[in-house]
Amino acid sequence: MLMAVLTNDQKMVLDMVRQVAREVLWEKAPQYDESGEYPWPQLETLAQLGLLGMTTPEEWGGAGLDSVTWVLAMEEIAAADPSVAVILSVTSGLPQYMLTKFGTPEQKKKYLVPLAKGEWIGAFCLTEPHAGSDPASMKLRAQKVPGGWQLDGVKSWVTSGGQAQVYVVMARGESGISSFIVEKGTPGLSFGSPERKMGLHAAHTTEVRFDGAFVPEENLLGQEGRGLAQALAGLDSGRIGIAAQAVGMARAAFEIAKAYADERTQFGQKIREFQGVGFKLADMHVKIAAARALTLEAAAKKDRGERFTLEASTAKLFASDTAVSVTRDAVQVLGGYGYHREYRAERYYRDAKITEIYEGTSEIQRLVISRELYR
Amino acid sequence: MKFVAVIRQVPDSESRLKIDAGRVDLSSATLILDQMDEYAVEEVIRLQEKHGGESVIVALGPERFEEAVRTALAMGADRAIHLVQEGYLDPITQAEALAEALRAEAPDVVLTGGQQADWDSQALGPAIAEALGWPVVTWTTALELEDGQARAKHDLDEGAEVVRVSLPAVFTTQQGLNEPRYPTLPGIMKAKKKEIRKIPISAASKVEVLEQSIQERSRLGKVLDGTKDPHAAASELIRLLHEEAKVI
Ligand SMILES: Cc1cc2nc3c(=O)[nH]c(=O)nc-3n(C[C@H](O)[C@H](O)[C@H](O)COP(=O)(O)OP(=O)(O)OC[C@H]3O[C@@H](n4cnc5c(N)ncnc54)[C@H](O)[C@@H]3O)c2cc1C
Repeated sequence: MLMAVLTNDQKMVLDMVRQVAREVLWEKAPQYDESGEYPWPQLETLAQLGLLGMTTPEEWGGAGLDSVTWVLAMEEIAAADPSVAVILSVTSGLPQYMLTKFGTPEQKKKYLVPLAKGEWIGAFCLTEPHAGSDPASMKLRAQKVPGGWQLDGVKSWVTSGGQAQVYVVMARGESGISSFIVEKGTPGLSFGSPERKMGLHAAHTTEVRFDGAFVPEENLLGQEGRGLAQALAGLDSGRIGIAAQAVGMARAAFEIAKAYADERTQFGQKIREFQGVGFKLADMHVKIAAARALTLEAAAKKDRGERFTLEASTAKLFASDTAVSVTRDAVQVLGGYGYHREYRAERYYRDAKITEIYEGTSEIQRLVISRELYR
Repeated sequence: MKFVAVIRQVPDSESRLKIDAGRVDLSSATLILDQMDEYAVEEVIRLQEKHGGESVIVALGPERFEEAVRTALAMGADRAIHLVQEGYLDPITQAEALAEALRAEAPDVVLTGGQQADWDSQALGPAIAEALGWPVVTWTTALELEDGQARAKHDLDEGAEVVRVSLPAVFTTQQGLNEPRYPTLPGIMKAKKKEIRKIPISAASKVEVLEQSIQERSRLGKVLDGTKDPHAAASELIRLLHEEAKVI
């Protein structure tokens, strides 16, 4: 249905993404969920196809894709492997977006180009052990020293921590919170071991520790003291990616449930013929369609160059809620088999929950929305 | 050197086709670059990567063929020529029109699909060669160029042959010639800016299609019971796949 309004180029992009999603990501997802290995081979395949810098402008090594197509591509990737999707959403939605928006030409050349080409993965370091929903209370210190800054403190829950080459770090200095670009290998920078999570096992999340890590002058990203505002601008864009990830997971679980309900028989009939199951599938379908529409609306607004904070939070709130409820219902439709790893539904259920938490919890989205309504 | 792939757009083999008033109705079909032609596109890109020069896509067909042309450009070909004509043209008439465009391009190598997925015709490649008076190698599985000549391996009915032809020449593809690449995202974005020269033509088909129908194949519904003797069932399955279905 949607395909009908897409341009041929958008269709071509989606056909290509669907093909790798099916042949590479979907195939490997269960194995990487079990082992908890970081999905480097999959990321390399995506990099070769130019999918790690989709929305970054062509002059900086990206593909200059519009956000609408990006959202549809993210949905396909998340439907096949939510872990790969979040790594992708972070590297392109946050560090690349912030570098594109706030970076100097030198910073773009040095960091944005390899990130957009997928030679490197990028990470975003905002959260701290004691500063989650309230990032303004962060403690990580940036002290002015000759030639640059010295960072001291701890960031937590960093997606791709230890694996990423480039870290965009928000830290507190004399003139407030600023953003810095920190390279892996910087003396004084170290990583915790991957957190043992409920889901998204392949997308490593670690602590990132700064122990007198030196950041040269030229690695200040954007304006001094504007770090938090820049990070929040990044999150507006990142939330569209997470909404798309949520839609993808919900759709994948729904498709599993839909196929199963057409095959499984009990009491001498297909279970989809029981109204209790059929109506559940109908509701799942409606929620997914609505979540996708909200996500596309936010993306379209971003493409038009308009402010999209309200739309991004609206989409993220509704899509993550949809992901959790639809994946839970998918497990229910499969009965005991839904609880079995082989049928994949349980993994989407585990993976989906995080979409209500990261890049702003659902409560924080409501906070943003309620403020935006009176802006 | 100049390398040309002649391509067509066809319904995806998984598409459900309908017949409407004695005609195949493609409105609900997914249309794709013919997979046999995809080998041709991949091969011209590889030849260009190896020998330098230019890779060009040539298509003859209705306006909608442009999508397939864009796919070929997104894979990496340099530019395209699209001879535009709606409606059915038989392969011989197509070859005559294509030969004219090809003569003007003066390529060293022309590649096209060994068989067309829609009409199952194998005529187009040989007919182009005939119209140009060039040698043709059909069902090519390997192609090497050396000093104005080509060494090609091609399939015969129950075997293969290695041949040498002087260039320019026409080659039709066979599965195994290469592994077509996915178009990359930057490739797709670049393809938007590549040239597609459209040339309206009005050739008269030598064959007129009066009516089309689709053969409905019913399933055999053969079920092997493996519950009692799974070994025997497996052997029987292999025998059926080998002797009757002839797929292994
Ligand atoms: C897998 C994973 C990956 C992550 N990746 C990254 C990353 O790459 N970079 C990064 O910087 N961070 C990342 N995070 C951190 C994530 O963004 C935070 O966990 C999130 O912002 C919530 O912070 P918190 O965990 O400290 O919870 P808290 O802020 O302590 O919240 C606890 C509860 O209180 C509620 N609450 C808090 N404030 C309010 C309020 N004002 N009104 C109502 N309710 C409120 C919350 O909604 C929540 O339910 C990641 C987290 C996870 C789990």
